Amino acid sequence: MRILLSSAGKGRELCDARGVNSTERRRILAAAALGRDTRHPGPDPEGGEPLRAVSGQIIDVSPHLIIVDTEQGVEERLVIAPWATAWHGVDVAPADLPLGAAVIIRALRDGKVAERIWADITRMTGAILSVEGRRDLHVELDCGPHRGRRGVVIPYRATGRIRVRYPQLEPGYLFDAIGVRDQGVGQALLPATSQPGHPARAVPTPPPAYGGAQQRINGTATWSDAFDCDERGTAYPMVERSDAACPDAEVSCVGLPYLAIGSLLHIRNVCTERAANVPIVACGCMAGRFCDRCVECGTSPRGRLAELSPSSFVELGGELTKGCFNARVGWG
Amino acid sequence: MLESQLPVLIVLLVLGTVAKLATVHTDAEPGALTRLGPAVLVPGPLRKPALVCCAVGELVLAAGLLVTTYPLFRWGTVAFFALSTYVLLELRRRRPDAGCGCFGEVSSAPVGVRSISRTVVLTGMALMSVWAPVPGMSGISWWTLAGVAVLAVLSPELDEAVARIRHRAPCEQRPALESAGLAKLKASATWRSHADGLLSAEPYDSWRELCWRFFVFRDRGGDDVVFAVYLTGRHPVVRMAVVGRDDTDSMPEYTAVSA
Repeated sequence: MRILLSSAGKGRELCDARGVNSTERRRILAAAALGRDTRHPGPDPEGGEPLRAVSGQIIDVSPHLIIVDTEQGVEERLVIAPWATAWHGVDVAPADLPLGAAVIIRALRDGKVAERIWADITRMTGAILSVEGRRDLHVELDCGPHRGRRGVVIPYRATGRIRVRYPQLEPGYLFDAIGVRDQGVGQALLPATSQPGHPARAVPTPPPAYGGAQQRINGTATWSDAFDCDERGTAYPMVERSDAACPDAEVSCVGLPYLAIGSLLHIRNVCTERAANVPIVACGCMAGRFCDRCVECGTSPRGRLAELSPSSFVELGGELTKGCFNARVGWG
Repeated sequence: MLESQLPVLIVLLVLGTVAKLATVHTDAEPGALTRLGPAVLVPGPLRKPALVCCAVGELVLAAGLLVTTYPLFRWGTVAFFALSTYVLLELRRRRPDAGCGCFGEVSSAPVGVRSISRTVVLTGMALMSVWAPVPGMSGISWWTLAGVAVLAVLSPELDEAVARIRHRAPCEQRPALESAGLAKLKASATWRSHADGLLSAEPYDSWRELCWRFFVFRDRGGDDVVFAVYLTGRHPVVRMAVVGRDDTDSMPEYTAVSA
């Protein structure tokens, strides 16, 4: 994801002339000024066998082997575990996935054994601008100032399932669904969560912080496909508007502290007990508008704390088709 | 005695005007107006104009009460508060979650018996003032103070203000302007002792993390000079470090602290 920052009215890219990632540089500079150790992104070791997300396009697939061409132009050959499952709109056998499909693979054993494959998966998150159509519904979404507008189609066969969880399918309300990309158009097939009852521009205010700032906050973590293919990182709602050039930031129904693009967020998947330090790489203004819960394992408190890239979500043990996991985030 | 409540009415109407306009102007929190009455009783696009109309009406009434004894303004004030009582009753019935919005965003607590009683008392005060012989603020007396005390008891906004002061959001959750942080930095002793070595007085990067704001400058040797300013206090802690351009780990050459 290309991110521009602005300070004193000037825009900058997050890479300097030496090719050093500026988000990384910020961590080094902050650590130097405050005299603390530089923390590094990556998984916590105590979470069991690390998972690796591999994304790319299928070159060849058989019942036992899948070969994908990654974003870096590298050919990855993965053994398909006997218990592996795949999703391409519906659950399918891995060998039935079409060649050329864009896949994200959850892999074990240093990324050599595929156990879960999602093909052509996409997520449509935003505020509804318009809904048209009688059988297939055409929905236009405002996905936030960075992501612009997006048109999605809800096929007739999925409208019942989506309307159950999204009863207010009308302009001004929030929409979040998971589906497949079909010839460049997103087809919504599954509701990602239940629709928040509030309109997109009426986010409840966070409760007062009676006990001062909390070091750990529980809520929900989701994913978005508005990241580069293999990017590890997260979008975070509470970044200063001027820092992130994001006019819709600083909105959340959770009492989150201010962090910056480049800060590290410690995210724990409460359901799988996997945790990782994930860098904040984008403004999560759209995630901040969702004051909803995740019921992946128990019922989480309200509010989206982080919107992860697909690779980070998968490596934390998340299931892309479920859309969220109960999360605990910390900092410092 | 009849004119004793005019000053209270004028001040409250002006306060109401200012608070409502401020709420409309600083609609920084999108959707704030959807939780405030009577804006919630009108369709979305009309909410802002409704609040502005209400504020302007209050200002006109306050000006009229201040400078003239003309009955139109006095009966207008009675009608305004009587109508407000009806609107609050309606609001409580239709949107029990919405605040009265009487003083803008501060009046965000759901409408209760106290808010309604207050508008009833204000209607009574306005009715009493209809026959006041003089306009404006000239009738201040002990009766005025008694009126203020009654209104204070009936004002949920005071509880809200006390709660906000007692339970102020921690520094990590409070917005802080970048320019204010830069001003604090430039007022510090750390800045004065290192400013001469910098290429420019304007930072080339700045970001906020929790209660710290960082400013990065380049020095004459081409290295990065980073200042960290704590965001609370009049004379906040300022830390600084010099990091070589090619350093890939934290290697502060020195750290200075000023308080």
